[in-house]
Amino acid sequence: MSQMTDMRKTEEEWLRTERLPHVWCPGCGIGIVLNAFLRAVIRRNIPKEKMVVVSGIGCTGRTAGYVNVDSFHTTHGRAIPFAVGVKFARPDLNVVVFSGDGDLFAIGGNHFVNAARRNHDLLIIAVNNFTYGMTGGQHGPTTPTGAYTTTTPYGNPDRPFNIPHLAISLGAPYVARWTTYHVNQLQNSIYKALNMKGFRVIEIISQCPTVYGRRNSMRSPMSMMEYFQKNSVINNKASYEEMELTYKGKIVVGEFRNVGGIPSYEERYEEIIRRAQE
Amino acid sequence: MSQNKKFKRKATVKVLEERCKGCWYCVNYCPTKVLQVSEKMNSKGYHPPVFKENIDENVVCIGCHLCELYCPDFAIVVEELE
Repeated sequence: MSQMTDMRKTEEEWLRTERLPHVWCPGCGIGIVLNAFLRAVIRRNIPKEKMVVVSGIGCTGRTAGYVNVDSFHTTHGRAIPFAVGVKFARPDLNVVVFSGDGDLFAIGGNHFVNAARRNHDLLIIAVNNFTYGMTGGQHGPTTPTGAYTTTTPYGNPDRPFNIPHLAISLGAPYVARWTTYHVNQLQNSIYKALNMKGFRVIEIISQCPTVYGRRNSMRSPMSMMEYFQKNSVINNKASYEEMELTYKGKIVVGEFRNVGGIPSYEERYEEIIRRAQE
Repeated sequence: MSQNKKFKRKATVKVLEERCKGCWYCVNYCPTKVLQVSEKMNSKGYHPPVFKENIDENVVCIGCHLCELYCPDFAIVVEELE
């Protein structure tokens, strides 16, 4: 029996298979991200009792219900505060925040900014599908300028969030961006980030053919995947301007920041407790 | 691909049909095109892919596991042959 066949068997144990097939639409990228995440966790040999998955509200928020580990389906936008609480109570656990762009950057934007500034020891897996998928395809803070959604039928006038730039400017030690087309690179990136300390952000550009692709001439799941395949450019040393997402433009992917040795908030807090006790 | 060389099948692709939602990423990304869209439907009305064992003597599953990695519905199991 080969390694990959074994991994697929173990993956079934990590899933709540009685709840499958899941609620995500045909061709949704969240399943691909979850698949890559579970494989990275299995490769790292992390025991199930040392892993917590916290997710917010939205399509990606449903992830917490499908992983067979202790998981938290929190209130809208508050996945990071709940995860911080879990990490403070049990510093030995690996806490992963698995949430979407609307949850992490729209309603939870302030939590993201402040958790990144304090460098909490969390792994953030942000699935960016450019829109609010579950509520019917309204424009969100990551919708590219000019994109057509239900609430912007003549094109979106807003500028989207540049998530890697935001995370780097706040000092996050690991920042990467991949698309769902880059399955192996994504898996290796999560594998690497699981072994690090501090606020690690991995943004995954995902497809939403049902509500986003349909209004932007990418109706089928394959046409969105082809868009990622043709337009993504791997550049680990991209400038901030290049990282910005544009409507139907190039998607710069890669591992933008990977530095070690920055103390996390939990480590600094332990230091303060030690000093106070002296 | 040389004409006289025979390729040996390395793996079998098992499709868990009830989990499939018919996005066909597996059919499109298979490098040797051993997966094809099936004629029949599952209980939800989607057409799952079907594994073709012997289309041609040179068209065989090479066991790359790409279909398994791209499947968003956890519906594919690649079992490698000894």
